[in-house]
Amino acid sequence: MATINKRFGATDGYIRVPGGSEIYIFGWVDLTGIPENEIFSYRGKAQLLGPLLEAKVGDEVYLTLTNLGMPVRPDLDDSHTIHWHGFPNQIPVWDGVPEASISVLVGRDFVYYYKPLAPGTYIYHCHFEPVEHIQMGMVGPLLVRPADYDPGNPAYKTAYGHGTGTEFDREYFIFLTELDTRAHQQIEAVQEYDWTDYKPDYWLNNGRSYPDTVEPSGALPYQPYSSLIRANSGDKVLLRFVNLGYQQHSIEILGVPLHVIGQDAQRPLGLNGENLSYRKNALYFAAGQTMDAIFTAPSAGTYPLFNRDYHKNVNAGTAPGGMVSEIQILAGSLPPQPGPGQ
Amino acid sequence: MIRNINLWVTDGYISIPDGNSIYIWGYTDAAGKRAQVPGPRIVVNQGDVVNISITNTLPEATSVVFPGQSGVTADTGSGPQPAGPKYDGGGNLVSLTDFADYPGNPGGNPPTITYTFTAHRPGTFIYESGTNPHKQVQMGLYGAIIVRPSDYDPAVPAKKTAYGENTHTEFDREYLVVVSEIDPVLHQAVEQGKDYKIRDFLPRYWTMNGRSAPDTMNSDNAGYMPNQPYGAMIMAEPDEKVLIRYAGGGIENHPLHPHGNHTRIVALDGSLLKNGTEDLSYKKFTVLVGAGQTYDQVFTWSGLGYNPSNPIPTVMPNLRNLGVGDAGWTMWSGSPYLGEKGDVPVGVTSFNQVGEYHFMVHSHEEMQITNWGEFPGGMMTMIAIFPTGTLGDAGTIEGLG
Ligand SMILES: [Cu+2]
Ligand SMILES: [Cu+2]
Repeated sequence: MATINKRFGATDGYIRVPGGSEIYIFGWVDLTGIPENEIFSYRGKAQLLGPLLEAKVGDEVYLTLTNLGMPVRPDLDDSHTIHWHGFPNQIPVWDGVPEASISVLVGRDFVYYYKPLAPGTYIYHCHFEPVEHIQMGMVGPLLVRPADYDPGNPAYKTAYGHGTGTEFDREYFIFLTELDTRAHQQIEAVQEYDWTDYKPDYWLNNGRSYPDTVEPSGALPYQPYSSLIRANSGDKVLLRFVNLGYQQHSIEILGVPLHVIGQDAQRPLGLNGENLSYRKNALYFAAGQTMDAIFTAPSAGTYPLFNRDYHKNVNAGTAPGGMVSEIQILAGSLPPQPGPGQ
Repeated sequence: MIRNINLWVTDGYISIPDGNSIYIWGYTDAAGKRAQVPGPRIVVNQGDVVNISITNTLPEATSVVFPGQSGVTADTGSGPQPAGPKYDGGGNLVSLTDFADYPGNPGGNPPTITYTFTAHRPGTFIYESGTNPHKQVQMGLYGAIIVRPSDYDPAVPAKKTAYGENTHTEFDREYLVVVSEIDPVLHQAVEQGKDYKIRDFLPRYWTMNGRSAPDTMNSDNAGYMPNQPYGAMIMAEPDEKVLIRYAGGGIENHPLHPHGNHTRIVALDGSLLKNGTEDLSYKKFTVLVGAGQTYDQVFTWSGLGYNPSNPIPTVMPNLRNLGVGDAGWTMWSGSPYLGEKGDVPVGVTSFNQVGEYHFMVHSHEEMQITNWGEFPGGMMTMIAIFPTGTLGDAGTIEGLG
């Protein structure tokens, strides 16, 4: 069991949507290992999604949240928190709900401690005025490996542990959110926004809209995660779906049947261990749900991934856009995957 | 047993924490009382013959449908007949079931009607208007029915269950959370007799048991909310089995997420998730409560074993370096330990009683945890975990019947 020390900063910044517009966001930045006297230079460099947090069951995770403040909104002295969404048997002091424990003031640090109890796909997000802070971008992917995880041994390279039928060769996050650019513009301009008027005009997959979704990781400075899925024909591909928007979404991949082996970071198992996994062509998600699905990569070719709510595959009303991405299946030339989404 | 339940269909007002007062239609259990939201809880036993009589005082016809119940009859004075949809002379649907007319309608039906059914199976069910339901249910004409299994015995742990002995639905405590949403423009239009197009439906408030947060966390029968008698606070002790019954009373679907742990879904729409000996229950951390649907689930919080002699492995900063009471109040005790109290800043009101832990339960469509845009509010409450031995008698849900 390892001890993992991480430090995330909370600040603001800008992302890009196709067409060149810059959108004001709040978000996270990875400060792990950054010398104390350089931390200030990370203000205004929030990314969407936040850095991937990865741990094994039994690891001890010390996650320091540093509230760097908002350079674009210096008037805004909002606190922040980290809520590990779905973590079982949490205690309030690390649960990140300001109304039930504490929040982190501007210029302050706080250490959250987590010892993951169960494998699966989770989410972390800020829970301070969550309607604003989640929509503004304070969200990130979180995955917990089973205690026996061993990427060098195919029988132990699994989502939920050896013998659970969840072996995979490659894994990808599909992290769904939306963007109501009116809200982001109002907040950038120090205006009030009535959240009950929420009406998104961009739909994001890993923080990007198509065609940016299929650009490689690193192509967009503050949207580090590509949504492109690549595999060799015959590979077992694990898709870790997250919905952290405020809408319900239906994701479909033509020609690729999906085997759902996890929901909300749990294998679907009856009380006596009944295997309730199931097969789907379109996966339906409510806000705040996660799902793990495995498919066996079909013959070489390109398979589009899209939202079956077709009106969401647009950027400010123009198709194609939104959550559209691609599954690119190669004949066998792809080297082993170094890490999730890569 | 025969259960005779009398309901009056009338109007009233509910209060929202932002100061707004909303005109409603709803049910009440006595003549002359204002309507309440949701309607009175009805709690009966499996096998009971349930007679529900309504007296309509609204300016339009109304009715009650009982999704999940079979063999429902309706009696408007000439004897019970199978209840069924009503069509006008042109073949257009005017009501999903037999209705009580509005008082004084010339040539109309009487303003009273009695529905009868046998509660064949245990579970959580909804009752609601079947007449102009797009308007009447939104106005508040919905409520919940709990049917206890025939062998139910709250004094015997193995028989204090949602679905009967050996169904793995034992519980120590139970809670009912009926969710809905409110478009104040609809309610105002109905109050003023003005036209309203349901296609313009745009909710600004979201409710649990007819209340918006933080009122959801207040007790049952809180005096300042006479027409919202049911709290939505969930309270338990560590390791207890908490049966949480969700019911979708609105016209939209709401993803409810409890902090603290997953729930195990044991029944949908009053149907146990079992197929013979095969158990089909499953765990979730966010449940999409669909309109008209019910979810029975078991929640347990066991914790991580921290206490002052097994301290947490992090150092708590000085109080002045922490944000506490950002909303103007807090449920926090000031201590990371269950059953301990610590300091909270001067000027912050703590509603914490004995060092209990609070875990939020809320819609993850986050605009729904505001009151017309103001956080915190809406479809949000807490699960409070009290130190073992401090919470007292569990009690169970009581109601008409
Ligand atoms: Cu969450
Ligand atoms: Cu939450």
